[in-house]
Amino acid sequence: MASSVLICDDSNMARKQVIRSLPEELSTDVTLATNGLEALEVLKNKHIDIMFLDLTMPELDGVGVLQNLKDNNLTNCAIFVISADVQPEMQSKVLDLGAKAFLRKPVQVDVLINHLQEHGFL
Amino acid sequence: MPFSLDEDQLDCLQELINVAMGQASDQLARYLDTFVFLKVPNIELVKAEEFSKSLTGDNQSTAVVSQGFFGYEGIRGEALLVYQHKDSDHIADLLGYDPDELSDEEQLIDISSILTTTFLNVFARQIDNQLSYNAPKLLTSEQDSMSEYLDHLSFSWDIALKVNITYQVTDYSFNCDMILLIPESAIIDIKTVINRILEAL
Repeated sequence: MASSVLICDDSNMARKQVIRSLPEELSTDVTLATNGLEALEVLKNKHIDIMFLDLTMPELDGVGVLQNLKDNNLTNCAIFVISADVQPEMQSKVLDLGAKAFLRKPVQVDVLINHLQEHGFL
Repeated sequence: MPFSLDEDQLDCLQELINVAMGQASDQLARYLDTFVFLKVPNIELVKAEEFSKSLTGDNQSTAVVSQGFFGYEGIRGEALLVYQHKDSDHIADLLGYDPDELSDEEQLIDISSILTTTFLNVFARQIDNQLSYNAPKLLTSEQDSMSEYLDHLSFSWDIALKVNITYQVTDYSFNCDMILLIPESAIIDIKTVINRILEAL
């Protein structure tokens, strides 16, 4: 069965870059969110297997999303953070909050594929 | 307006800036051994006269390090690092210098060049460009001298695209703003580059 994917980023261009990088088997069920609040709303109403999450966003940022999911023990989907905030402290923080991996922006296809393979989605 | 950006162009520019801002923050964080908090950058069109007033306006205790940049395809502008004097007093501590090791001016120029060149090099790389830089210059906060300086940049401008990025160093309660001014002549060229990126998506 195909995995359901949520892409959360306030940038339309960044969302397109992720969509373009997805392998065909992960591109049939893709939901988009433009900030953390929208992402949490999607997660409440739909089963999501994989979330690609930006950090620096209005309304609710990516760290806020991760913290919310951890606090409420909602850790069903695999979260891959894709962010421009590449400080080591931030990378450690998101991994501690439950993200599977940290990917630098702009996302590179081969890096994304490697992470998906590593976590059993391909 | 020929100088305004549509929603997609603005989004693209913002994303390019986010990536550059992230890497500049990483450099700053490593240099200072601290964490830099990032905010969403602000992009708007400004008129020269209004900008000059806003920069000097109410607050007379501002230090500004200014550095021009220019690359291929007409890309050019000015990067201004704006510090409040209460923050610039912390800079020796931040950089780990002894009080008499470097002048205040040298300290400000040091930290500014890290931010400016890292940011602009990453920005340029994303648009397949390469930038050269003028020597950084510390400006005083007096209204007249600041206005005069802004009137005599290496490019003439009535309108500019202003990109405002705030770097907040959490351990030291220290802020500085990076303001990029891209004059009207270069906005057209930036738009051409952005359109090329968008078409390739």
